[in-house]
Amino acid sequence: MGGCLEEIIFLSALDTPVLIIGGGVAGLAAALELDRRGLPSLLVEKGPRLGGQARGFCCKALEACARCGACRVGDLLQQAAQRPALGALTQALAVNAQRQGAGWEVTLIPQESRQPDTPALALERPLRERLLARTGAVILAVGHQVFEARKKSRLGYGRVPGVMTAGELEEALAKGGLPGQARRLAFIQCVGSRDQALGRLYCSRVCCGFALRLARLARHLEPASQVTFFHMDVQDYGQAWRADLSEMRADLRFIRAIPGEVRPGVGGPLAVFAGPDGQPQEEEFDLVVLATGLEPPVAAPALCEMFGLAPGPHGFLAGGGGVLVAGTAGGPRSITESIEHAAQAAAQAAEYLLAAPASPAGEVAHA
Amino acid sequence: MPKPVLCWTPAPGLEGLEPLALARAVGLELDQGGALEAAVVTVPEALAPDRLRARLLGRPVQWLDLAAELGGGGDGHRHKRAAAALSRAAGRASLGTLPAVYAPQPNQRVLVAGQGLSALAAARQAALLGHPVLLALRGDDPAAAGAGEDTSQVAELAAGLPEGIELAPPTELTNLTGAGGSFSAWLKGPQGALRQRFGAVVLAPGGAWEMEPAPAGLAPDLARPLSACDPASLATAQGWRQVAILAGVGQPATAQGFARALTTALALQDRPGVQVTLLFREALVATPEGERLYRQARQAGVLMARLADGEPRVADDGRTLAWQDQVLAEDLELAPDALFLAEEITAPWPGFLQNNLLWPPLARLLPEHARLDGGRTARAGFYVLGALRGTPAGDDRLAEAAGAVHDLHDLLGGGATPLPAVRHLTCARCLTCVRVCPHGVPEHLEDHIQPAPAACLACGICAAECPAHAIAPPGWSTAELVEGLARGLKAAPSPAMVLMACGQSAMPAFAQLSRQGHVWPAGLLALPLNCAGRVGLELILRVLSLGAEGVLVAGCHDGMCRSITGNLRARLAVGQAAQTLKDLGLRPEAVSFLHMANNQPQALAKAVEAMYARLGAPE
Repeated sequence: MGGCLEEIIFLSALDTPVLIIGGGVAGLAAALELDRRGLPSLLVEKGPRLGGQARGFCCKALEACARCGACRVGDLLQQAAQRPALGALTQALAVNAQRQGAGWEVTLIPQESRQPDTPALALERPLRERLLARTGAVILAVGHQVFEARKKSRLGYGRVPGVMTAGELEEALAKGGLPGQARRLAFIQCVGSRDQALGRLYCSRVCCGFALRLARLARHLEPASQVTFFHMDVQDYGQAWRADLSEMRADLRFIRAIPGEVRPGVGGPLAVFAGPDGQPQEEEFDLVVLATGLEPPVAAPALCEMFGLAPGPHGFLAGGGGVLVAGTAGGPRSITESIEHAAQAAAQAAEYLLAAPASPAGEVAHA
Repeated sequence: MPKPVLCWTPAPGLEGLEPLALARAVGLELDQGGALEAAVVTVPEALAPDRLRARLLGRPVQWLDLAAELGGGGDGHRHKRAAAALSRAAGRASLGTLPAVYAPQPNQRVLVAGQGLSALAAARQAALLGHPVLLALRGDDPAAAGAGEDTSQVAELAAGLPEGIELAPPTELTNLTGAGGSFSAWLKGPQGALRQRFGAVVLAPGGAWEMEPAPAGLAPDLARPLSACDPASLATAQGWRQVAILAGVGQPATAQGFARALTTALALQDRPGVQVTLLFREALVATPEGERLYRQARQAGVLMARLADGEPRVADDGRTLAWQDQVLAEDLELAPDALFLAEEITAPWPGFLQNNLLWPPLARLLPEHARLDGGRTARAGFYVLGALRGTPAGDDRLAEAAGAVHDLHDLLGGGATPLPAVRHLTCARCLTCVRVCPHGVPEHLEDHIQPAPAACLACGICAAECPAHAIAPPGWSTAELVEGLARGLKAAPSPAMVLMACGQSAMPAFAQLSRQGHVWPAGLLALPLNCAGRVGLELILRVLSLGAEGVLVAGCHDGMCRSITGNLRARLAVGQAAQTLKDLGLRPEAVSFLHMANNQPQALAKAVEAMYARLGAPE
C-alpha cells in the first residue's frame, strides 16, 4: 500500500479488509501477520511514529543477548519496510465507529503532534484530513498504560530525589548510561501490581524480567555498584531465564520484602522495609527504581463504548463481533508474547472475514 | 559485461547532491529513461516508482539505500561519501547477477504431527490458507486433548475442522529430513512405514503431566502426584486433617503448574476439617487469574509456606517436614496425613532429532531466542509447538500455532527467499555447506547439492565458507562484493575503512544514524550484509588487500543471530584475520568486531570513531 497511501490521503473514505488501531509492537506484528496471510490491512497510529512504547526500550545484553525482545521493534519496522503492500497512517485517531453489516465504519481524524526527533520512515504517512475507513474487521492494538508511580505516594516518586521509575531508567540506559553516580541501587517490584489496596489483583508478568535484566545491566555498566532487589516472588520465564536467574542471585542482593516507605535521607533516598527478623529496617540508596506495572490502556473505556464491547479481565480489552484485541491492550504481555498474540488476532480477523456475509470490505478480503 | 546506468530517484536525505556530477565522478551514465542493461538505483526496491521497476525487470540491479549510507555533514563531505557508495554499487552491478538456476517449486503440503490444541489449531489455519494438510495423530481420536488443555475447546476445534485436512490413521513420525519447501517424512502407521513429501512440518505433541521430584528422605508411599488427588471424593473418605502440597520445590515450577496446585489447594481446603499447607519457593502468579487465585486460597485459610534453598527438611521418619517461616522467623514442622507433589507438562522429543548428522543439537535447533517466536526453529519450515516448547495450555497455544502457520504460508508462497545458486561445475561436493547452513537448506542428493526451495534466509554463511566458491548467491557472491568494494575503496577518500554491517543489527542502526544526520568519516564505506555470517576470513583479507586501512565487522549479540551462528562465525573470522595480520608483521588492530543490537546506534558510532582514532585520523 506504500505507494497508494499517497493518494488515499486525499480521499474521504476507503475500504480495507482489516483496520488495525495502534502502531506499536502488536499493531505492527498484526499487519505483518496479515500480510503473511496475503490479506491487506490499514494500520493507524495516533502518534507521529510507529513502534509504540517499546521503541524507547534499551538493549539489555551484556555479552550475550538477554532475550528482552526490545530490538524486535526494529525488526518489525524493517520487515514492514520490506513489504511493499504494507502502509501506515500516522497521526490518525479513531473517534467513532459505526456497525455496517458484519463490518465497521471507523472515522479517523488527523492529530496534531510536535515534530518527532527521528525522521519519518517510508511507510509512515501522516493523515491530513478526516477519513472514513470501511472495514470488515478491526484489531485493537492500543497497548497499555504504565502505572502512575505517584499514586503510591509513600514510595516517594516525584517527591524524594533519587526515586525513578524503571521506564525512566530504561530510557537513560538507552541514551547511554546510568544517571549520575549511582553506586547503591535498589529496585522495588510490584509497584501497582498484585496490590489489593489499589484493586489490582493481577501480576504484571513482565516486571521481574525487565527489572532484573536492567539491574544486571546497571551492575555491568558500574561494576562497583551494589544492587538490591526488593520483591515478593520472582516470576518464571523458562529454562534460559532460570540459568540467568541463578547468576543474578549470586550477583545481586535479593530481599523478599517490599519497602513500605521511601523518604529523603542524607545521601539519597531511604527505604524502610521488613528485615529478615521481621523488624523494620532502614537503608540508604543512591537510586531507587520502581518497577511500575502495566495498566489497561487509557482509551479502553472509550473503545469499549465505540465498538460496544464488554470490558475484559481487570479492565483490559476483550474483543467480540469482528473486533479483535492484540498485545498488551488485552492484558500484560512481553514483547515477544505480544507479537505471538498479534498472530492470533490476525488469524481470528481472517476467519471472521471468511465467515462474514459479503460486504464491500469483505469482498476485498476474498479477492 | 552489462554496463550499469545510474537511476537517480529523489528521496529524503539526498537533497543537495548533484546527480549528474556524481554520475560523472563514478563513471556511470545517468539514466535518461531509455533502454538499459543494468542499473544502480538510489532507493530501495520498495520505494522505487512502479514505472522504473517495470523497466528494470530481469536486469541486474543494485538497489541502494543511498540516504541510509550518507549521514550528515557538508555538501562536499556527503558528495564524497555518495561517490564511494555509488562506486561500490556500480562495481557489483557491473558483474551482473548469475542466471537463475532451476529450482523445484516448494511443496505446499503441510504435515501436522501431534495432538490437542496446538496440532488442531495449526492444521485448521493451514487448511484455511489452502494448504493440503496431513494431520498425523498418535491416537485415533482427534478430539483427545493434551495435558492441561480445556477439553471442550479441543472438542470444538476437532468437530469444526475445515476441508482440506486428511486425517492419518494413528501414526508416528519416525524420521524427517529436508527443510522448508522440501521435507521427507517417514510415517509409521498400521500399514507400515511410508515416506511422504511435505513443504512444512509442524510438531505439536499433546504433552502429559509429570510429577516433580520429591524432597530427599520422604517416605515413598507419602508422595503422590497432584493428579491423584480428587478433592471431591478423597479427602473426607480418608479422614485427612493435614494435607501438604509441594509446588516448585523439587524443580522450578511454571505459572501453569502453580495455578493448578492453588486450585487443588482451594478445593481441598473447602472440605470440612481439612487444613491445607502449600509449600513453594516462589508464588508464580503471572497468569490473568493467578494473583486472584492466590489471594483466594490465602483468604480461604490455606497456609502458605515460602521455602528457602534446601527446604523442606524431612525428618528421619520420612513423614515430617520442617522449614523456617520467613515472616515469623520461626521453625515450623508439619506431619501431613497426605502429601501431593505438583506436576508440570512435559512432552518427549522425537527420536529422529537425536540424529546429529541430519539435525543440529536441540540447543542450536531450538534455542530460547528472542527472534524465534511462533514456534519457529532454526530450520525454516519446521515448527515446534505447545507442550514441547513449554507454551501454557490455552490461548497462548492458539497464538503460537497461528504464528507458525503464517510463517509457513509466507515461506511456501515464495515470500522473500532467494536461493543460493550452486555452481555444479565448481562444486567439489565437500558438504561444507550442508555442515554449516544453520537452516538446513542444502541437501546432498545423489551427486549434487540441492537447496530446499523455501528455507533460505540469505545469511550467506555457505558462501563465506564454501572453499570452492561454488555458492554464488545473486547479488552477494564473493566476486560481486569484492568488485564493488574495489571500486568503492578507489573512490573513497583516505583513510578508507570498511564497515561490514549485519542487516539485523548494525545496518538498521547505521541507517538510523545517517538519517538523523550523523557525520560519518568521509572514507568510511558501509557494506550492508544480510547477516554478519557472510563475512568470512577471505573477504576481510581481500578488502584489506584492496587498500582498506581498517575493517569493522558489526553483528548481533551472542544468542540473537537470526541464523544462530552467523555472528559467531564472523567474530571467529575477525580473530583469524587479526592473527594472520600479526603473523605477517602487520597491525592486527586493523580488524575488529562489534556485538550490538539494532537499538544501540551509539555503540556503532563509538566503534567507528574508535577505529578511526586507532588507525588514522579522518581528514
